[in-house]
Amino acid sequence: MDPIILVLILVSAIIGGILASLGVHLLPVGGAPAAMATATGVATGCVMLMTGSAVTGLFTASAVASFWEFEHANIALVALSGGVGAMLMIGWTMLIANLLYVFGAGIVPVSGRVAVDPITKESQTEYKTPRTDGHGMPNVSYISGMIGGFVGGFGGALIYVTLENYAHFSPATAGIVAIGIFIANAILAAYNIGGTIEGFHDPKFKERIGVGLFAAFVVSLLCGILVVVAVEIFPSLGLGGAL
Amino acid sequence: MGEEEKAEEKPEEKEKFTLHFPNENNLAIIAVIAGVIVSILPVLPAFVKGIGAILVILWGADSVRKTARYGLGTGVPSIGVLAMGYGIVGGVTGIVIGSVPALGGGGIVEPGVLVGVVAVGVVGYISGILANNEKFIGMKIPGLERGMAELGMAGALAVIIESSMIAGTWNAAVVIPEIIETGVIALIFILAAFGMLQPFNSCLGADERRGRTLLVSVEIGGLNCIIFGVLASLIQGMAQGVPLIALGAITWVLFYSAYVRACLNEAHSVVGTGLIKTMR
Repeated sequence: MDPIILVLILVSAIIGGILASLGVHLLPVGGAPAAMATATGVATGCVMLMTGSAVTGLFTASAVASFWEFEHANIALVALSGGVGAMLMIGWTMLIANLLYVFGAGIVPVSGRVAVDPITKESQTEYKTPRTDGHGMPNVSYISGMIGGFVGGFGGALIYVTLENYAHFSPATAGIVAIGIFIANAILAAYNIGGTIEGFHDPKFKERIGVGLFAAFVVSLLCGILVVVAVEIFPSLGLGGAL
Repeated sequence: MGEEEKAEEKPEEKEKFTLHFPNENNLAIIAVIAGVIVSILPVLPAFVKGIGAILVILWGADSVRKTARYGLGTGVPSIGVLAMGYGIVGGVTGIVIGSVPALGGGGIVEPGVLVGVVAVGVVGYISGILANNEKFIGMKIPGLERGMAELGMAGALAVIIESSMIAGTWNAAVVIPEIIETGVIALIFILAAFGMLQPFNSCLGADERRGRTLLVSVEIGGLNCIIFGVLASLIQGMAQGVPLIALGAITWVLFYSAYVRACLNEAHSVVGTGLIKTMR
C-alpha cells in the first residue's frame, strides 16, 4: 500500500490513543468511594465510563460514516460525530448520577479538591460533609467530564474512520480494532490516575497528565505498528474485499 | 459428660477440596504449549481446541490474580479487559500474518499466527514497564511487566483459538466474514475477558486461595465452550459443535460443583436464608 497512507494510519492511531488517554484524565471518576457518596465523581471505574461513552461514540460515528457509500467519508465530520455521541452518553450518565445523589442520597454536588469552583466561582468547602472527599458532580467536574467525553469519543472515531477510509477495513473490523487500541490506552490512563480524579481542576491532573500522555503515545505507536503490518499484508493475500 | 461430647463434635475434619494446579510458572508453560499446538494446527477437532482455550483462559486468570493481588486502584476487571484489548489487536494481526501462504497459511501446520501473539507480548511487556517504572506511571506492582506480557499473549491466543473453534480455521478468508463481520468477535472479547477477570474479581479477599479461584476460571472456560459450541454447530455443523458443547457442559458441571463444595467446606459456617434450598 502507499507509504503515505500507512503513515497516515499510524499517525491517526497515535493521535486517537493520546486523545483517549486525555479524555480519561478529564472524566470525574469516583470509583468505590463515590458509590457511598463520599467522593466526587460517578460511582464507577474509568474504564467503564470511557468504554461506555466511546462505544456510543463509535456507534454515532459509524452511523454518520454510512452516509458516504461510494467515496471517502469526511474525516472531520465523522470524528466530530463520534465526539458528540460520547459527550451525550457521559452527559446523561453524570446527570442521572447527580439526580440520584441529590434526590436519593440528599447531598449537594461539591468538589473535595478545590475551595472555589474555578468556573462559576461558587464556594465549595462549607457544603462538603466533614471527612468526605466531596460528592456528586459539581459544575466544574460536569464541564470537565463533557470535554473528556468529547475528546475521547473524537479519538476513538478518528481511529475508526481512518481505518475504514484509507485501510479499507469493513465497518465491523475497523470498529473492533479501534476499540482494542482505545481500551489499551484508556486502561493505562486509569492506572495513571490511580482510581479517582475530579477533572482538570484536580491537582492530580497537572501532576500526572504528562506521564499519561507519554505512555499513551508509546502504546498507541506499538499497536499502530501492528495494525499497519496487518494493513500492508492483507491485500497480498488476494482475497479481495475488505479486511 | 456434656463437655466431652462437645470436644468430640469439634474435630469434625473438614475435607478440603483441592485440585492440585501446577505452580504459576508450570501453568504458564503448559498453557503456552497447549495454546501454540492448538493454534498452529487448525485441522484439530473443535473440542480439542476447546481444551486449549480453557487452558489459555486459565493462564490469563492466573496472571490477573498474580497482578491484581496488590491492588490496581481501579478494579480487577480493568486488567482483564486490557488483556482482551491487546488480544484483539494481536489476534487480528496474527490472523492476517498467519494467512500469508509463504508463512504456511493454508497448509496443515500454520505457524505464522504466532507472530501476532509474540508481537503483542512485546507490546504488553513494554506497557508493563511504562506502568511499573517509577519514572512513568509508577504502580510498583512486583511482576507487572511479566503479567501484562502474559495477559496480552493469553488474550491473543484466546481470540485466535476461539475464532478457529467457531469457524473451523482462523484463516483470514473465513474468519473475517464469519467471525468479525458478524460481530461474534465482540462475544469472544467479553466471554474470554470474563474467564480471565471474573475468578479473581469474585474471590478476592483475605481468605482467597489460588486453588479455589482457578476453579472458577475453568468453569467459565466450560461456559465459553458451550456458547461457542452452539455457534460452531451453526457454522461448521453438528459433528464439530456437539462434542464441544458436551466438553463445555461436563467441565462446567464438574468445576462449578467443585467450586461450590470448596466454598462450603472452607467457610466458617453456612447458614441458609430459607429462600432457596441449601446444600446442607
